[in-house]
Amino acid sequence: MSLIIKDLSARVKDGAQILNGINLEIPKGEVHAIMGPNGSGKSTLSKVLCGHPDYEVISGTAELDGQDLFAMSVDERSRAGLFLAFQYPVEVPGVTNANFMRAALQARLPKGEELDAVSFYKTMRAKMAALGMDTKFTARAVNEGFSGGEKKRNDILQMMMLEPSYAILDETDSGLDVDALRIVSDGVNAMRAPFRSFLVITHYKRLLDYIKPDVVHVLYKGRIVRTAGYEIVEHIEQNGFDFLKAEE
Amino acid sequence: MDFPQNMSMEEAFAQAEAEAKLNQALSESKARFENAVLPNRLNEDWRFGRPHKYATALAELLRSDKPSQGEAKVEHAGEAAVPVSADDDDLRRTEMLMPTIGSDALLGMHLERFGSGYALYIEEDTKKPIRIEYTTTGLFTSSTFIMVAPGVTAEVVEIHRGEGDTACMFATRNIQVAEGAKLKILHHSAHMERYMCITNIQNMGGQVVQLTRHDTHDWAREETVAEIYAPESDIQLYSSNLPRNGVLDLHTKQIHHAGGATSNLLYKNVVYEGATAIFAGNIFVAPGAHHTDAYQSNRNMLLSEKATVHSLPGLEILADKVRCSHGSASSGVDEQQLFYLLSRGIPREEAIGLLAYGFEKDVIEKYERA
Ligand SMILES: Nc1ncnc2c1ncn2[C@@H]1O[C@H](COP(=O)(O)OP(=O)(O)OP(=O)(O)O)[C@@H](O)[C@H]1O
Ligand SMILES: [Mg+2]
Repeated sequence: MSLIIKDLSARVKDGAQILNGINLEIPKGEVHAIMGPNGSGKSTLSKVLCGHPDYEVISGTAELDGQDLFAMSVDERSRAGLFLAFQYPVEVPGVTNANFMRAALQARLPKGEELDAVSFYKTMRAKMAALGMDTKFTARAVNEGFSGGEKKRNDILQMMMLEPSYAILDETDSGLDVDALRIVSDGVNAMRAPFRSFLVITHYKRLLDYIKPDVVHVLYKGRIVRTAGYEIVEHIEQNGFDFLKAEE
Repeated sequence: MDFPQNMSMEEAFAQAEAEAKLNQALSESKARFENAVLPNRLNEDWRFGRPHKYATALAELLRSDKPSQGEAKVEHAGEAAVPVSADDDDLRRTEMLMPTIGSDALLGMHLERFGSGYALYIEEDTKKPIRIEYTTTGLFTSSTFIMVAPGVTAEVVEIHRGEGDTACMFATRNIQVAEGAKLKILHHSAHMERYMCITNIQNMGGQVVQLTRHDTHDWAREETVAEIYAPESDIQLYSSNLPRNGVLDLHTKQIHHAGGATSNLLYKNVVYEGATAIFAGNIFVAPGAHHTDAYQSNRNMLLSEKATVHSLPGLEILADKVRCSHGSASSGVDEQQLFYLLSRGIPREEAIGLLAYGFEKDVIEKYERA
């Protein structure tokens, strides 16, 4: 059981090609990290996997536990177990956090089955407490007027509620204060399990010190150019990405 | 001229003048109905409303010998409610004088069938909202009159409901609010093949807050004329609609006869595939109505490229020191927001429903908070 991406190329709809043949395999139970310079295509890769309408797959495949990801609609991919914590979570005025999560959980139940409202609120409040979020956020519109860090926490809250089998975290550390970074990392670590994988996108060693990856990939100009162990994180932290340019 | 002993000369003259004015207005309004032509495409007020398809069909129905049939109910009204009867000349006269927005001929036909509905003479604060409900399976013409006495605070819910596939209701509503009075009114109509409603609000220095909702009609037309006759008046008109098919044709006028008053209108529509929503609004500030605040806003969310919106906001200001604004905006579903909901596994239709509900929510909240 894994997430397997083969020869994936994608472009902005009617625009530039961003991904140039990505190959990546994330087995269940592992934590992989992706690092790479600004604009190398990290967010694009994660959004393409989720089916964002701004992008178009040119070629290649993606399989989630043997299912063809690109044959599924955006919501189906989520219900199949894929989750993306966005680099820039979207504000949705008029829809409360609670209603949003209720609808998402309800959609995972078999037809005719009703979500138990009492246990839903209980779970939601417990997870919010674990993330250091005030319970008043349940009644607030999704991300509307949230600070940068609050938005990031809110996405992690969603991950904790939906319990995906493959979670992509796109720069979740950016915008989080020191304490929040630790709290969020603890939350992620608590979710690590043999039946769950993470793909953690970050620029900083700091996060990967908390969430220790099994494998680290380097994305550059829309390609995976290195796959290594934790030692490469150290190297990038000290020397930056110059070694990539030297190889061109 | 003979006048009662206890009346001064001035008062007697004033009364005589008022009577003369009324008589003139009545004879003018008689002429208005005699000369009125049925809505047609040349009539600016029916420009996008497909008069031939809808107004003509309604007129034919009104002219036919098809009887009005429907049920009128009122609850929690205490002594305040009186059934409208065909021989109540005062009420008939009120309806005769009410302004329309392009539908004098239809109002004339409504008057021919005058005699159903309720009049509320509200002289005490309401504890529970008074509830008026008109239901029909066929053709029903109703008249509602609501008068709120000085200083009284009242809440009313008015429901117009069709049953079956061919319900048709033509309603008129006359609302008068006295100085210092406050009326909160929810007006909800639903399930009609044809629905038309002409409303006139007269505010003499009180507050009127109205929320209108027209649901699941094949055709609905609303004409609302809100008039301010005294300083300190406040009128808030809210509307939240989700037309799924057919035509929703909304026409409003905020008329400031007197200065030092406010009116605010916010009409929001979520327009589904195959539906057409029309909004034509006008703010009129009469000469001398200085220090007026009047706002008007129409917002539409289109859920499909096949949804149609015509939005025609308007302003006419003939006074000084006036703050007025009007605006309209229409847009589709926000793709980024939709994607965010979808990415959490919420099925498309439901995600759109959540966004639509979110779009309308502030209108409902404004009403609830008022
Ligand atoms: N919707 C879009 N429209 C136009 N250009 C886009 C779009 N999405 C991505 N791009 C371009 O594709 C490239 C990759 O962007 P992407 O957001 O994937 O980079 P990233 O690796 O996540 O960078 P960062 O580290 O700054 O977050 C950039 O040059 C970006 O400008
Ligand atoms: Mg990025």
